[in-house]
Amino acid sequence: MASVRTENLKKIFKKGKSEVHAVDGITLTIPDGQAFGVLGPSGHGKTTFLRLVAGLEVPTDGYIYFDDDLVSAPGRIVVEPEHRGIAMVFQLWALYPNMTVYDNIAFPLRNAGVPKSEVDKRVREIAEELGLTRVLNHYPREISGGQMQRTALARALVKNPRVLLLDEPFSNLDAAIRDGARALVRRIQRERKLTTIIVSHDPADIFSIAEVAGVIINGKLVQVAPPTEIYDSPANETVARLGGDINVIEVKASDGIIYISNSVKLPSPIPKLEGKFRLGIRPEDLVLSDSAEAPGMTLVGRVKVKVSSYVAGIFRTLVSPIDDDSIEILVNTNGYVEPGSEKNLLVRLPKVKVFSEKGESLTLPPRS
Amino acid sequence: MASYRARLAKYVILQLAGAIVIVFWLIPLYAMLIDGFKTNFEATVTSVFQPPVRPTLSAYIAVWNSMKRPLINSLIVVVPVTLLSGILGTMGAYFFYVLGEKHPIVGNTGFSVISLATFLPVESAFLPLYLFEYSSHMVNTYWGLMFAYLLFYIPTAALLMSIFMPVVPRYLIEAARIDEADHWTIFWKVVFPLIVPGFLSTLIFVFVMSWNNFFLPLILTTTPSMRMVPVEERYFTGGYGTLYNETYAAAVLASIVPLAVFIVLGRYFIRGLAALGGGAKGV
Repeated sequence: MASVRTENLKKIFKKGKSEVHAVDGITLTIPDGQAFGVLGPSGHGKTTFLRLVAGLEVPTDGYIYFDDDLVSAPGRIVVEPEHRGIAMVFQLWALYPNMTVYDNIAFPLRNAGVPKSEVDKRVREIAEELGLTRVLNHYPREISGGQMQRTALARALVKNPRVLLLDEPFSNLDAAIRDGARALVRRIQRERKLTTIIVSHDPADIFSIAEVAGVIINGKLVQVAPPTEIYDSPANETVARLGGDINVIEVKASDGIIYISNSVKLPSPIPKLEGKFRLGIRPEDLVLSDSAEAPGMTLVGRVKVKVSSYVAGIFRTLVSPIDDDSIEILVNTNGYVEPGSEKNLLVRLPKVKVFSEKGESLTLPPRS
Repeated sequence: MASYRARLAKYVILQLAGAIVIVFWLIPLYAMLIDGFKTNFEATVTSVFQPPVRPTLSAYIAVWNSMKRPLINSLIVVVPVTLLSGILGTMGAYFFYVLGEKHPIVGNTGFSVISLATFLPVESAFLPLYLFEYSSHMVNTYWGLMFAYLLFYIPTAALLMSIFMPVVPRYLIEAARIDEADHWTIFWKVVFPLIVPGFLSTLIFVFVMSWNNFFLPLILTTTPSMRMVPVEERYFTGGYGTLYNETYAAAVLASIVPLAVFIVLGRYFIRGLAALGGGAKGV
């Protein structure tokens, strides 16, 4: 096991005459044994960051250390990927199509010169743990997506890596088996206290596995915090959207009251708020009700239901303030709500986020 | 949506066009095959397209004795040359594939030099090659012939194999590196098994090219016992007259080996070419 530390890490790709700053000055320490998640939109440098750590990319600038050993320096790979003691699960799993599952898992051990009997013992152990024993003699094309993913994981784990790198490891799995795969990775990571970096655009991957997450936007690290904190107190609007569905509404505030419309308003979480802002409220922090009260909730005004639908296990209802049809707010509801009906809208005040017009959060808790 | 009639018409026209091309290309092969079974008199006076009245093997029997030795010579030189060019060319292609990732400029320049060597006419290097082989006593030896062939066909194989190389996704090579494999292991265990169809296509191509090469054996061999097939064949068109039936029979014997290779391995050749059309995927 090892800690991973990067200092002002940069990677610039030249495309013709223009430069792309894929990774732009990332300084980060991942302690030994931690599961670290990297969250970010597609094409914003997450995978490049992971490839830099793996040694598959040469940094344009900056340093990478495994424990106290320098592994990458500006323009130079100090320790080649094959000597870093890392293991990686690729997005497309990168199984060797010409080898059986057994040979795929045994490949890193054989390369390391592990004796034959020991190879056999370790391959069978990890196959048993990951439920691959029955498919050991099959080729990758003959097994299911879930089995392929577990084979890739087995191949990564069998050599007891110092650092485990996961690049979107669940994005090619069927939705139905993703949670099982996440639970498996989480259990193995926690049991072995394996330093792990998981990269994903899907917050569910990060929330289920990472103890600490970093958000990379435009090559820059914009927030490092436990996943729940990133969800509840995002540093800016983009991070808030990455974390999950959120209503972002342009609002005016005066005298400590935030006006969504003239009649729909709520007390500001920040005292003496004046001017134009952007209000962020997640659909699950809103309630539609006929009564004006609910535990922990505050009434904000009357709304009219536009449409109600069932999406991915929950009812979603779109409402507008009765006096302003142009504003649309998404609310999670317990069931179908008749369009055209009028309801009271209630909000869980402590969860309300206020962003500046540029999208920076004004409701961040003080960092310890 | 085109109507059924329009689609049928298009299909018929395409099939017809294909059939015409095939017939056109088969005409020389047909002439070569039937005229070898004629007597010399018949071959001289009848049309080349007219089948023999009484087929006879006499031309083949006459030709076989003089073609035996050249056939053996050609096999001795061409088979090792094909295998070596194929393997070394594939290794070269892998080298440039890996190099091109980190140093695209170096990779591309090296690759251009190789392409240049492929497109250079053999004749342009004739003088230095002959002088070199003469001074190192390689003229009239199998080694001398193989050396000359390899000079030209390793780059050809490397060029062809670089076209097939993207069949192997880069992430597979990266995965193998992370799995602590050295380049030797990556090449033989990961890369090579995936490009076997491309490799076979290249083998066939190099085999046919070197089997049919006329110029190199012409200048590098002088004694009759070292003659290779294309050179020997030339001696059937004599200075005083041509024995047409024997020339045709010799031509059949000369083409029978590459034809057999193509018939046995041709599907890999086609599959390799088809894969190139599809962006070299799923070979």
